[in-house]
Amino acid sequence: MATVRTPGKTPLPEFLQTEVVKRNLDRAQRGMDVLLDRDPPVVGATPKEIVYSKGTQRLYRYRPMTDEVYRIPVVLVMSLISKPYILDLSPGQSLVEYLLREGFDVFMLDWGVPRPEDSRLGLEYYVLESLPRNVEEVQKVTGEREVSLLGYCMGGLFTLMYNGIFHDAPVANMICAATPVDFDGMGLLRRWSDRRWFDVDRLVDTLGNIPPDLILRSFEMLRPAQRWAEYARLVDNLWNDLYVKNYRLFNRWIYDQIPFPGEAYRQLIKELMWENKLMKGQLTLDGRRVDTKAITCPVLNIMAQYDNIAPFDATQPLSTIVGSEDKEDVILKGGHVSLVAGRNAWFRLWPKLSEWLSVRSV
Amino acid sequence: MPSSNDRPDVGQLWRNWLVDTERQWNSFLNDVMGTDSFGRFLGGYTEVYSMFQRLVAQNMERSLSTLNVPSRSDILELSERLGGVEERLAAIESNLRALAEAVGHPSQPAAVTQLRPRRTRRPRNQPAEAK
Repeated sequence: MATVRTPGKTPLPEFLQTEVVKRNLDRAQRGMDVLLDRDPPVVGATPKEIVYSKGTQRLYRYRPMTDEVYRIPVVLVMSLISKPYILDLSPGQSLVEYLLREGFDVFMLDWGVPRPEDSRLGLEYYVLESLPRNVEEVQKVTGEREVSLLGYCMGGLFTLMYNGIFHDAPVANMICAATPVDFDGMGLLRRWSDRRWFDVDRLVDTLGNIPPDLILRSFEMLRPAQRWAEYARLVDNLWNDLYVKNYRLFNRWIYDQIPFPGEAYRQLIKELMWENKLMKGQLTLDGRRVDTKAITCPVLNIMAQYDNIAPFDATQPLSTIVGSEDKEDVILKGGHVSLVAGRNAWFRLWPKLSEWLSVRSV
Repeated sequence: MPSSNDRPDVGQLWRNWLVDTERQWNSFLNDVMGTDSFGRFLGGYTEVYSMFQRLVAQNMERSLSTLNVPSRSDILELSERLGGVEERLAAIESNLRALAEAVGHPSQPAAVTQLRPRRTRRPRNQPAEAK
């Protein structure tokens, strides 16, 4: 018997097939995935092996993806306050993977999650002891004397301090991404940690390591409305697979904070936030002055225009305090994270980085 | 009669409103949080937070000691000593490897150290030198 359709009335199965319904069903399903954290996206998946470890710190070597690599290996130096997988976020969206495909031999220096007893570790440990030791290991494994250092955020500060102290360091190229050097330009973070009301000694003496929550909240306070706006944007884009995937990837990293070693935090506040000693050329570690003017290797300074954690005013002067003749500034739109892992990074920064590094790595 | 292209896109209007509102709220709250009084408030909060943490730690230490249970500081001390042992072991291992290499019996290298890709790659616009 033939079905008689009432004009103007859509049967239910057909209605369920409409674009609007499909889109909303997709939204609901993806929303549940996000809420329940179902099938979390894979992070840091590029194959790697530990070359050297000490305490919580690990030096990884990623498996080269080409038979022929550039002579000089690249060592990625991570920040103390975040996990390193932001540089190896997800297959197809990973700086590490990109560099490997471009023919670089890539190493990663990951400081690990500090344990309570690591609260005694100051900048001296990271800059004078650990970084040189890891560079030695890279030299041993590759048989090459020189390395290129790529520091992200505080990792950039470490590479700068290391180069400024060890003038004969085997650093062929130095790349600093989102690296604050002029702490007068740190905006609200500087204001909140003003010595008139911020007792850093009491905080470190009481807590040891600075809890990740405290650091995360202070970053969130820089853009207080962002979190809620992000939720609204997520709801709007729940139908979009790529948007949801990226949202989950970035958020996983942002909320996956680690404690900040107490002593290093104390130094950061006193020597850099309060006194701005690096910029003034007065910073000393274990009696050795960080002389950034003595750095002569090629320097690439990568900055984000709307970075709220390492503001542009704080990162921009980096190339003015080094003595290198071969130096270049790269300014990208975007923020602290999207600088190294967002769309800007995929299409603009990574190709630029590879191009800059390749001609200096033979 | 206006065509469908002239109709305002409600979704886009909402998105624009969201961006503007976010910017305005961030700017307003940043202004508030940039004042000396907010700085003092934050300093006071950190002070209370530290004091609270200290009190909790002291009381916990006392209670655990009464119950004859190791406290956090005891475990930290133990962990520190273990760390020391680990480091000594790593140093001994490294020395043994160096010794073995010196007498011509290199120990089995880790897989990653066996990777010896040719380090002769050149940038795309810079062809390899003629042999």
